[in-house]
Amino acid sequence: MRGRTRWVLLPFVILVYLGLLAPLVVVIAVSFGPSPAFEFPPSGLTLRWFAAFFDSKPFVASFFRVSLVVGLVAAAAATVLGTAAAVGLVRFRFFGREGLETFFLMPLLVPQILLGAALYLFYASLEIHPSLMTLLLAHVIICTPYVIRSVTAGLVGMDPRLEEAAMSLGATPLQAFFKVTFPLLQSSLLSGAIFAFIISFSDINLALFLSGPESTSLPVHLFSQIQWEGDPTIAAASSLQIVIIGALILLVQRTFRLRLMV
Amino acid sequence: MGEGSARPVWAFLVSPYALYLLILLIVPFANVALFSIQTYSPTKIILPELTLVNYLKLFDPYYARLFGRTLKLGLITTVICAVLGYPLAYFLARARPRVATIGLFLLIMPLMVSTVIRVFGWIVILGRKGLVNKALMAFGLEPLKLLYNETAVVIGLVNIFMPFMVLPLMASIERIPPSLEEAAQNLGANWYRMFARTILPLSVPGLISGCLLVYSISISAFVTPALMGGRRERMVGQQIYDEVLVSFNWPSASSLALTLVLLTLVLLFAALYATRRASRLETGR
Repeated sequence: MRGRTRWVLLPFVILVYLGLLAPLVVVIAVSFGPSPAFEFPPSGLTLRWFAAFFDSKPFVASFFRVSLVVGLVAAAAATVLGTAAAVGLVRFRFFGREGLETFFLMPLLVPQILLGAALYLFYASLEIHPSLMTLLLAHVIICTPYVIRSVTAGLVGMDPRLEEAAMSLGATPLQAFFKVTFPLLQSSLLSGAIFAFIISFSDINLALFLSGPESTSLPVHLFSQIQWEGDPTIAAASSLQIVIIGALILLVQRTFRLRLMV
Repeated sequence: MGEGSARPVWAFLVSPYALYLLILLIVPFANVALFSIQTYSPTKIILPELTLVNYLKLFDPYYARLFGRTLKLGLITTVICAVLGYPLAYFLARARPRVATIGLFLLIMPLMVSTVIRVFGWIVILGRKGLVNKALMAFGLEPLKLLYNETAVVIGLVNIFMPFMVLPLMASIERIPPSLEEAAQNLGANWYRMFARTILPLSVPGLISGCLLVYSISISAFVTPALMGGRRERMVGQQIYDEVLVSFNWPSASSLALTLVLLTLVLLFAALYATRRASRLETGR
């Protein structure tokens, strides 16, 4: 890039980053401000909204008992399902493989709000009420493709002859996979699992339909608090989510290729 | 593993998730399709009498306006994303690795934070006592009503979905060798001419998939219009939410949902096709 080009681009680049980051910066600033109105820039520094967050039963329940639990279990389930699917797709040739690959992308192509509505109507016609379980099952649908993506990338970059060598030395196919391939897949597995967690943890569109009164996830609780114009406890809870997700994305960027994940 | 084994190992590996999707993705949408051709009843929600009323209703002025507004807001969002996102994509594609790493983190991190939080941030910025109005008042100007209208929805949608424009564009610009730019300029083309003749045409596949991605995601937006939009200027996503959870008109909600999902899938498969075609043209296959 030559000098002049850069100066022409810079205003646009700054404008876009401002738009992307401003809401996060504002939310974090508001969570430390003393005013109960959403004041920016804040006129002081206080931790009272974080204290209010930990004192609020609905906030604590939605954060720790619902979002965190569902996120971790969904990530674990997605990692198992997704790893198996990725190994099947990369290491074997069979009829309909490409079609199946596209089919496994479907959860990312279908608008989430419509998937949420469709699942709600499906459960309703089976007379199943929204609960922690319905939310968890729904999240596994949209988390798994991220694991498939990262594990596929990990497997494609790996030399299959490593496994063949292990087998020619007497290892069974299963042994060869778990002793040779699996350790080499660790960073892509970790990234896939982390992304699965993030997708579940920040989802709102499915949760709006599928979390019941006893299983309100953090984003859904935030949504209703914003509608009822609550206080900066909203901002404190949001700041916690921003910090957790920021740290996890940083971890993925350090251990794997972040570009592949989105 | 593999080729030699008699048992179809692949089937054990791929079938769990395939079955999962069959039961929790395909069947629910089949159920939606079935609901959409049944009759609404205020007391029983659904009567098992087949009808096309739910689809014919989409041509009523109310629903036609609803779809018209949704498609229009999606289009405005997409155009603004393309105009603002293109320079950023070019900047990142040609940046030094260190800058690109930081730039990518700052692009993807906000994308992964819950939409509801980013919308909340915009509400604080645009609110009556928000950042913008405070600045206006500091200059002695009247505060503006920036929230709860279509402009606010577009501002929200543009900022929330921007990364979906930048990432595919960046990928396609990266594949254009920088030597091409230098060659064009060494042959006497100025920067703008070089850009219009080489970079822009070669990045069209990325631009197309970015636009289709942003458009298809913004026409099914719910959280942004629900929290930042006016009561009278709703989008299809809000209508579906209300008909499912508030007014319990499930047949009508189903016809809306099925129409929107088919529209989205057509657009996204077009985007996939554009990307694959581009990479095929490059590798010469």
